[in-house]
Amino acid sequence: MYSQQLHGQFQGSPVRLRAFGLIATFALVLSACSGGSGAAAAPSAGAPAANVLNGSGLVKISFWHAMNGTPDKALQALVDKFNAANQGKIQVTANYQGNYDDNLAKYKAAIQSKQTPSLIMMYDVGTRLMIDSGQTIPMQAFIDADKFDVSDLQPNILGYYSIGGKLYSMPFNTSMPILYYNKTAFAKAGLDPNTPPTTLSEIRADAEKLTVKDASGNVVQYGFGAAIYGWFMEQFTAVTNQEYCDNGNGRTAAAAKVLVNGPEQVQLMTWWAQMVKDGLAVNTGRITADGQNAFKSGRVAINIESTGVLGGYLQAAQGKFDIGTGFYPKIQASDAGGPIIGGASLWIDQANHSPQEQRAAWEFVKFLMQPENQTYWHTQTGYFPVSKGALNDPTDKAWVQKNPQFTTAITQLQQTKLDPATQGCLLGVMPQVRQNTELGMEKAILGQATPQAALDAAVAADQPLIDQYNQAKAGN
Amino acid sequence: MSGPLRAILVGAFGALPRAILYLVLAALVVGIVFPIYYMFAGSLMGPADINTFPPSLVPHGLHLQNYQTVFDIIPLGQQYLNSIIMASVITIAQLTTATLAAYAFAFLRVPRKRLWFGLFLSTMMVPWEAIIIPNYLTMAEAGLINTYLALTLPFLATGFGTFLLRQSFLTFPQDLRDAAFIDGCGHLRFLAQILVPLQRPALAALGVFAFLGAWSQYFWPLLVTQSPQMQTIQIGISQLKSEDTNDPGSVMAGVVLAILPTLALVVFGQRFVVRGLFAGAVK
Amino acid sequence: MSQVKAAPAPRAGERAGVGDPARASSRRESMTALLFLAPSLLVFLAFVFYPLVRSLFLSVHANDIIGQPTRLVGLENYVAMLTGPEFRLVLWTTFWFAALTVVPSIAISLVLALLLSARVRGIRFFRTAFALPFAFSVATAAVVFSVLYNNVVGILNGLLFDLGLPGLNWLTDPGIALVSVAIATVWLQLGYDLLVLCAGLGAIPEDLYEAASLDGASGWRLARRITVPLLAPQLFFLIVVSTVQALQSFGQIYILTRGGPSNTTTTLVYSIYSRAFAFGSSDFGYASAEAVVLLVVVLVITAIQFGFLERRVFYQ
Repeated sequence: MYSQQLHGQFQGSPVRLRAFGLIATFALVLSACSGGSGAAAAPSAGAPAANVLNGSGLVKISFWHAMNGTPDKALQALVDKFNAANQGKIQVTANYQGNYDDNLAKYKAAIQSKQTPSLIMMYDVGTRLMIDSGQTIPMQAFIDADKFDVSDLQPNILGYYSIGGKLYSMPFNTSMPILYYNKTAFAKAGLDPNTPPTTLSEIRADAEKLTVKDASGNVVQYGFGAAIYGWFMEQFTAVTNQEYCDNGNGRTAAAAKVLVNGPEQVQLMTWWAQMVKDGLAVNTGRITADGQNAFKSGRVAINIESTGVLGGYLQAAQGKFDIGTGFYPKIQASDAGGPIIGGASLWIDQANHSPQEQRAAWEFVKFLMQPENQTYWHTQTGYFPVSKGALNDPTDKAWVQKNPQFTTAITQLQQTKLDPATQGCLLGVMPQVRQNTELGMEKAILGQATPQAALDAAVAADQPLIDQYNQAKAGN
Repeated sequence: MSGPLRAILVGAFGALPRAILYLVLAALVVGIVFPIYYMFAGSLMGPADINTFPPSLVPHGLHLQNYQTVFDIIPLGQQYLNSIIMASVITIAQLTTATLAAYAFAFLRVPRKRLWFGLFLSTMMVPWEAIIIPNYLTMAEAGLINTYLALTLPFLATGFGTFLLRQSFLTFPQDLRDAAFIDGCGHLRFLAQILVPLQRPALAALGVFAFLGAWSQYFWPLLVTQSPQMQTIQIGISQLKSEDTNDPGSVMAGVVLAILPTLALVVFGQRFVVRGLFAGAVK
Repeated sequence: MSQVKAAPAPRAGERAGVGDPARASSRRESMTALLFLAPSLLVFLAFVFYPLVRSLFLSVHANDIIGQPTRLVGLENYVAMLTGPEFRLVLWTTFWFAALTVVPSIAISLVLALLLSARVRGIRFFRTAFALPFAFSVATAAVVFSVLYNNVVGILNGLLFDLGLPGLNWLTDPGIALVSVAIATVWLQLGYDLLVLCAGLGAIPEDLYEAASLDGASGWRLARRITVPLLAPQLFFLIVVSTVQALQSFGQIYILTRGGPSNTTTTLVYSIYSRAFAFGSSDFGYASAEAVVLLVVVLVITAIQFGFLERRVFYQ
């Protein structure tokens, strides 16, 4: 029946076409008119002072974030604590909006309908886009107006979100990449369980001893395994103290080119592809959860991942094996850089928000940065505390003692010199660039192209995106 | 054994068709049913059984905690409700708009009937994905993202449903209709009190079709919902999978909870579903 | 359903003209008719026709960093699309995926339907068992298969391992990822295809078989000459519907592979999503160009199927 009716359609009718033309014209007019709202005007310089909240009754603000599971509960606890302390003055409603990528897409939609939240958590690679969108007011404006003391906040973390000394957003859930390894497997293989590998060649040497095969020649345990994650490439680039994109890593001027196809990055991919080919490493693909599961199930002995997964790793390995951590590996022993902090930061929206709402959002941000709240956030989630004072808090110290693996991350951060390379690349289309880089990494690992060719292709694929973005930003 | 199969099998295999039949069927059943078996089994497995290598086929002990974990990760109850609300609204709306339109096409003098009819037809030819971006933008501009309206508005009418019902309405005897009108029956009364009760099979068919279609939608709800509280069960289950890095067991438990209604429908209501699916199918 | 057969009377809605009162009432009737069509038409206007035109509109414009259309660029997006290497891969993947799902699902369900038409004891159990995939939706089936396919801790590789075979990288090997997604899709389709074909088989009168066997036909000849041709309407229906569905596949790709590895499972619809919404992108211009191509492809394929196949269908 369905088929019969479809058949009926193909007996064309001129009358039908004419009517369609009428509707089409009508619709064309409509769509031309509904261009939607343009990007809002640039934010005004002045931040609202504290007194705008006096006598304004209850100010309600919405907060979009990408935390789910345990971090979500911890965040909600902090929100509740803030709301209780500000009864009748400020009420924050926190809403989980999906993962970071989805959050960005939803935010763009919200700009169109003029329904942005007062405060939004945006991932690191969305930083340039947030600045360019013209929707937000820089944190620096509030810091200057209030003469807020930032000496308690880690400069290495603030560095990512600052351009020319001006802080745009407040880092909140910060993570760093580190090396995880299975101490039990190390001991079984005759390696010192307290000496993790520090360079690619050391990883390979250890992996050769750690790869275990069974009677039929199938690999039971792989020496190394990590998700094919574009973030790792950014980290390796920073470790070699090189810039990922040009123009001072996008910080002196808008970046025009991605530089991910240099000799050291090619060396990295050659190493990685060879490891997989030689059966020393497993390729679990691009989904980070799969890479994590491989380590958690004991099938992979050395893994690189974020500090954020430490809690999950410890829970999964309980009673099965001991976990050790080490610094994020260098490509060559002589590399003098360090990893970039990752995660997300908080942005205060100005466009279409009253001064009261902006001020309320700032009060909440200040609350989150207090050492005791940072301690709570850190010990509940494993995210890196932005506040230096938090690390000196006894509760925090006790937690770090119980989870000595975390000390690695603290030391790593403190030992990294802050410069444009370690500050990270700021690029409007960074999310897509990260994807293209990932694709290039995947091609190299799968042996579909030589590492040089694969990375060159990634850079070439990035160029039109960057050009289009810069063109669009110029108002074209 | 009788029927067309016997004729074929006896011809092809000769002596023992029945045994071979059972054998082949059993082998195929194992293949087809295995994912379903593992779904149930996995939902009862703890991490030691399922997130390990090599994983086991049978759960050791009942790890019912998985079902509780599902509710910790996603608001399953709320998402079920969302799916039910969305599918019900769409079904009722489609039944209403399609009945009205089919009535007009079948019984009334419609000026330029072929034109309108053609327009209804043409909506069936447009794949939803080809217009999903503008529809998303419409919702975004209207500020309707993350609302029931966004989930339901685009689907309140159906070209296919109008056809199905028109086909069925056309079989309604003309003389009965004339009689009703001579008795002074108006259009709506005729529709509500005479036509609809007699057209239950077709309406039920459209209802089942519309409900199942709306229930299993994925792309559109993915785009227009943001918070877990507003998502449908289809989206919620996939989020369970992507966000849960530790626990395939809970993922399987979530799927079990999500498909229990339709599973019951297939097992117990197979005949009814068959009838619903093809009222109007080639006959 | 009413038992009375409709008489070949004048077309419904028409009555013999009776003069002026009739014209007034017929005007009222036209108004009523349009009123009854209005709700559907309003929905179609807002959510089908207007978006169609807007898709075209977006496809010929560039967009800003938020995704709003800026300047008219004519066919630039189409040119970029058609001259880029990715689009050729996307088209190829789309058609190959359609073939990988439509052909096996119809072939397997045809064989199964034939097997299940046997009237032996316990056949009801088998019928229910094979119909079970029907309870699943695209999302739920894909989630189950994603757990099965995991190449490190998944049960499929676990079973292969127990048999002493090396595991397969079901979703991370660019050579087989598309097949893995197709397998999940075929599994899902089986329930529905079976129900359609079983109903069709049930409609074939027994006497046809008896008559044919009396004439000496048996075995495959029977199947080929009688069963399959009489099932042609259902088969045709399934081919059309399955193809269109395959061309519109999204959920299983999103859940299983996100279009990877190395873009080998990126079909046209997934590419539209990827360009317009994934990774914070909002490339609505290019994505709309792809959407227009999708529309054309679906129209063309359906037209071909009607032109070519339907002629061979014999309606009883």
